[in-house]
Amino acid sequence: MAVSGFEGFEKRLELRFTGADPNGPGLRRLGQFEINRILEAAQCTIVSGLGNRFFDSYVLSESSLFIYPSKIIIKTCGTTHLLQSLSLFLHHAKKLGHYISSCTYTRGNFIFPESQPFPHTNFKEEVSFLENDLPPRLSERKSSVLRSKTSHSWHVYTSRDPNMLETGAQNEVYTMEVCMTDLDRSSARRFFRHENYLSGDEAGREMTERSGIGSIRANSVICDFAFDPCGYSMNGLLGSSYSTIHVTPENGYSYASFECVGLGLGQGQEMEEVAAVLARVARVFGPGTLSVALRAPQGAEWSIGEAATVLEPMGMALRGARAVDVPGGGNVVFQAFERRREL
Amino acid sequence: MLSSLLWDFDTSHVQILWLLRVTGHVIGIHSARELETKFDAANVLSRLAILYFTAAWCGPCRFIAPVFEELASKYLEVVFLKVDVDELKEVAARWNISSVPTFYFIKNGKELDKVVGADKTELEKKIALHLGKVQSP
Repeated sequence: MAVSGFEGFEKRLELRFTGADPNGPGLRRLGQFEINRILEAAQCTIVSGLGNRFFDSYVLSESSLFIYPSKIIIKTCGTTHLLQSLSLFLHHAKKLGHYISSCTYTRGNFIFPESQPFPHTNFKEEVSFLENDLPPRLSERKSSVLRSKTSHSWHVYTSRDPNMLETGAQNEVYTMEVCMTDLDRSSARRFFRHENYLSGDEAGREMTERSGIGSIRANSVICDFAFDPCGYSMNGLLGSSYSTIHVTPENGYSYASFECVGLGLGQGQEMEEVAAVLARVARVFGPGTLSVALRAPQGAEWSIGEAATVLEPMGMALRGARAVDVPGGGNVVFQAFERRREL
Repeated sequence: MLSSLLWDFDTSHVQILWLLRVTGHVIGIHSARELETKFDAANVLSRLAILYFTAAWCGPCRFIAPVFEELASKYLEVVFLKVDVDELKEVAARWNISSVPTFYFIKNGKELDKVVGADKTELEKKIALHLGKVQSP
């Protein structure tokens, strides 16, 4: 294990707003200058972006940003000050007539926690910082730390305004966040830039194809980017749903994440597809440890056995499962798996 | 407008003159016919053309639009064309556009390359590449 290296584990903030005309552009009206100023506070920049009828996606120097008409998701890795962006998001959203109805903050556990800036030094500090910037009407609050028998754990903080009705939430069935460490070396090697003549975009596209990432959610339109000398990010657009992958391939602190949002297709079918996607992700990266947190709304909760059904046959053993209810209904199920050692 | 007067003359040398006049700027395309005319003119001169698909509702397009304009003023030998996907739905469908911004690089009637997404560095690199200004293996 390296003494210190790039922190792959991300911090993720999801903000939902009301006040939008349901068919209008809503928060997508946020201007270039406002977005740049917000990202400056979080210490990241835009590398690329792609939008469709439903949302805008941005590849950042340190992960991703998604802007829907009434929802913003920002995910950053490294030692970024993600939470510094919160007050600016609220401020600029308000100027457009949008008011925050809920906030969810999630992250795994840092490989190099001592390298994190305040308030990311510990979860209590992060929650305190968040609550300081959120309006007090977001009175339903809950924070949980879900542990496992592996090095992976999951931190969730949710706060919401019980008096506000969220628009667009009914179209979403789930959010799946997957964290992987100790990546298979030959898989990780694909995410180093070997050919200097290729541009970031071309190198990114090659990585997408060669690694099999392109087939995880086929039919996604992918915006990918390869960093120099190594590292990879992509956002995939599939209708109103996104997927996003970020890879830190260096040996000693290798990390990859996969996240996607589900579509409202119907529970049974949906869960099978979720499990299939998870299996494809595990196959691409061959991690030593994989953890998956699935947030589902009421009535569509993921059952503990689903992930194990697809991962155990791949040689991944379940080493912990925890579920916690979240304010507003629904729950988060967190599970961690470890690759079985060959005897 | 001079361009609408020229529209009535369907001769290639007039198209070329028109093209030379608007070099240095992004040409907004407002009909499928206009797109064909511009491609024909670019082909006659063997010029690289870049077709940029944009939409009013797209945030990333706002980031790349000024960059595209800047590139147009810098690379005078390239023809920069812009199509709004809502305005020209059939053109967008023909080019299979579901996400924006998307840039197609066309020369002599052939699609050479494509950039999906608002990557400033990438766009300029591809222009340099297709103008033969950088070596590629």
